[in-house]
Amino acid sequence: MNSLFSGKYTWLHSINPSLKLLTIVGLFGFAINIHYLNFMLGFSCVILTLFIFGTGYSYKQLLLLSLPFLLVFLSTSSSMILFGKGETILFKWAYVQISEESLIRGIHLGFRALSFAMLGLIFALTTKPVRLFYSLMQQLKLPPKFAYSFMAAIRLIPIMVEEYQIIMNAQKIRGFEQKNNFLKRMQRIAIPLLSQSIRRAYRIAISMEAKRFQSNRKRTYYYEIGFSRNDLFFLCYFLVLLGLAYLLSIQYPLLPNTDVRSLSD
Amino acid sequence: MQKGLKLTDILVTIVISIAFGILYKIWGPLYYAVKPFGLHIDQLIYGMWFMAATVAFLIIRKPGVALLAEIAASSGEFLMGSEFGLEVLLYGIIQGLFAEFILFAFRYKRFDLFVISLAAFSSCAGSLIMDFYKGYIGDLSTWNLTLFIVFRIIGSILFTGLFAISIAKALEATGVTNLVRSSSKEDHEALDQ
Amino acid sequence: MTSITSVKNLRLKFPGESEMLFKDMSLSINRGEKVLLLGTSGCGKSTLLQVLSGLVPQTIDIPIKFDEIQIPDQWGFVFQDPDTQFCMPYVDEELAFVLENLQVPREEMSSKICSLLKEVGLELDNIHTPIQHLSGGMKQRLAIASVLALKPDVIFLDEPTAFIDEKGTEQIWETVKRIWKDKTLIIVEHKIEKIMDFADRLIVFTPGGEILADGNTSMVFTQYKEKIKEYGIWYPGAWDEYKFKRLAENKFEYQNTLKLQDFKGYRIKEIKIWADDMEVQSGEWITIIGENGAGKSSLLLAFMQLIKTSGNYFINDLLVKKIKDISGLVYLVFQNPEYQFLTHSVYDEITYGLQNQQNIEADAKEILSSLKLTSKINQHPYHLSVGQKRRLSVATAFLQKPTVLLLDEPTFGQDSINTFRILEWIEQERQKGTIILMVTHDQHITERFATRLWKVQNGKIVADRQLNNSCKVQKEMLNELII
Repeated sequence: MNSLFSGKYTWLHSINPSLKLLTIVGLFGFAINIHYLNFMLGFSCVILTLFIFGTGYSYKQLLLLSLPFLLVFLSTSSSMILFGKGETILFKWAYVQISEESLIRGIHLGFRALSFAMLGLIFALTTKPVRLFYSLMQQLKLPPKFAYSFMAAIRLIPIMVEEYQIIMNAQKIRGFEQKNNFLKRMQRIAIPLLSQSIRRAYRIAISMEAKRFQSNRKRTYYYEIGFSRNDLFFLCYFLVLLGLAYLLSIQYPLLPNTDVRSLSD
Repeated sequence: MQKGLKLTDILVTIVISIAFGILYKIWGPLYYAVKPFGLHIDQLIYGMWFMAATVAFLIIRKPGVALLAEIAASSGEFLMGSEFGLEVLLYGIIQGLFAEFILFAFRYKRFDLFVISLAAFSSCAGSLIMDFYKGYIGDLSTWNLTLFIVFRIIGSILFTGLFAISIAKALEATGVTNLVRSSSKEDHEALDQ
Repeated sequence: MTSITSVKNLRLKFPGESEMLFKDMSLSINRGEKVLLLGTSGCGKSTLLQVLSGLVPQTIDIPIKFDEIQIPDQWGFVFQDPDTQFCMPYVDEELAFVLENLQVPREEMSSKICSLLKEVGLELDNIHTPIQHLSGGMKQRLAIASVLALKPDVIFLDEPTAFIDEKGTEQIWETVKRIWKDKTLIIVEHKIEKIMDFADRLIVFTPGGEILADGNTSMVFTQYKEKIKEYGIWYPGAWDEYKFKRLAENKFEYQNTLKLQDFKGYRIKEIKIWADDMEVQSGEWITIIGENGAGKSSLLLAFMQLIKTSGNYFINDLLVKKIKDISGLVYLVFQNPEYQFLTHSVYDEITYGLQNQQNIEADAKEILSSLKLTSKINQHPYHLSVGQKRRLSVATAFLQKPTVLLLDEPTFGQDSINTFRILEWIEQERQKGTIILMVTHDQHITERFATRLWKVQNGKIVADRQLNNSCKVQKEMLNELII
């Protein structure tokens, strides 16, 4: 999808997209239930390794993609570090109160957000939307009307972005600009953009039905998407490495090993 | 009412969400610019992230549209490879479900400010629940947490409620909404004259 | 002969409208006929195609009623807009979508896709080509290929060439004539020159949705010519009959110049348009021609300072550096008028940003009445017809009294009456001294109205000719340039 970036085809690309999606959502659920910083650190490393070596992108590309990670880390951890509850006060100034607990909790949150960011990118970088929706139809029985609507809509994105720019320009010529407030400006752009988009979507739907598209009828598939040995490997990667990370975090903790949740609750 | 969503309903809903996705790109920088300061000013505009749900519902007026719109909006972000992609996707599903629940409670028959604001509020509650799990916001000091919640609620009602209704009204005035709304009984009866 | 599609006593009304579009309309079409439907915009031609194909009311929810209807078993539909016909990103995937709908086994798909593409003359090196990389004409031929996959007996074509340039239009009709010579074709089309000889039956609708004439094509054109002309429907020879006489040049109200020196326009650091030294004076009407994607629109955007430019660009000796410099001096009318609408009523629209000017109300009313929009003064701009929207957007430009007026395909999709009217207004502005720069595909405008022609190729102005209108030799020269 990313036109700026294109990488090599790797084994991650060959993973069944439905399985990949479910695994990644599963890992999200799993990570939410990690409350110990050491294991969180290990979890992040497991994801990071896959992100760096599995996606088939050059280090330069990955570095560029990772730049916003700093922001992700800071924005998620900062308010917790500065304003979180805690007993052991390290620093206090006006309303700002940094305690040991809140600091650890903040860092924990930062790593958590970082892991989510990488998981999301791993998926996006190695999955073609068309294959994803074909797989969702075949493996998870997503009704075709949803799958094809999504695919049709994705095709429209560049057209709509271009239209958005045209509308901005067209309104600039009419002298409609900065002097108006934010909401008003938004609305003036939203109306032509939405009305054109609605009409366009409506016409596409009609032309799809004119081509005998019926959601509830049996259909054949141009892309048949199944499973391969790589899928097994993919699952094992997480099972084995996360297990290892867990053991290591208990045996050789790098940082104080306490529950980051506030004990006062 | 016809059961289930038609292809036109689905496609139009998804495209509305994408249009919002594009509009968010203007809001986005503003959001991230105010975010890292910890004082939660960003929460005041947080509500815009679930606007697509109420706008799509106000246009198409059918069950399931709000949820679908939220999923579409958030999966767009996910598939395009955003840093917040995965989180956004899961938040989207929860927010959509919570909005849908309110609309269902009113049988999908009310489109007024009260019900839409309630749906906005509900979405907001959904997102807060996620935050309690994911972001430990319960462990923020009390004054800070209060600020966080109050700002988010205000933002939700402002964008997802008020602003969504104003956009839907303006769109109705252009006549484009007629395309996707079901024809009424009166329209059919008028043919017999 | 047997009828293949027909309807008896059709009634149809759009939700929310007060009048019925069709009232007890009957029509029957025989197997193998090539029928052309003509009428003003909004007369219901396109809707009729949708009724006969069963799209209304099954997919499109419009209330209808009829005594009898015969919908063909095997039909296909080619729509107008090449960008709203496809749901998949790649050529092969799009055709596969149709084959999947027909439950064609996967193993047969690739070979079927190749043979379909070959039949419509769309020979691609790789069938896995992004649809976005195709030209408009190629996209429409892809649409024809997907209809072909349905093995239709009846094909509905709803203005398939409306958005397509001359060359693409020719290829589309050549394809249609070749592959569907024995099929039944029902065609709505404004650009009729290319299919006049092909259609054997012509049905003309009144603006109220009634059938005015129905019969042999040439017979209908000769017998109903006056009516057709009155409705503003394009007919063969409409341009030849149109008498336009340029008034003798008198003094301009204002004397303006536009000067360029090594002027370049950029998009994402790439040179999109490049002009050497040029000078344009009051009284000039320049048409800008060139293929799709040659850079014509970029040129207008560069003049409007909406893209980055380098070099020198003067208007009346004022060096233009940014958009603020030209506010009030240069005005661009976009191809789609809706993009530029800002308000909720025609009057607000036309006076937007000018409320403080003296006499604005009188000026606005005058221009609205000359544009025949007085009765619409309180309407929402989106509710106007396509032609009215266009007139409104041009009128808005006039009221700004710009020094340089830029127009992007201002007569696109307009009926003959509106086309002539808009061109005459532009001519009036020209006579006052406004410099006119217009992108257009319509050769007739260049032949009759323009005083000068720029041809853009690969981002560069490659030809700059003074035109001396109403000269026959010139037509040949034009043809040379256009091809």
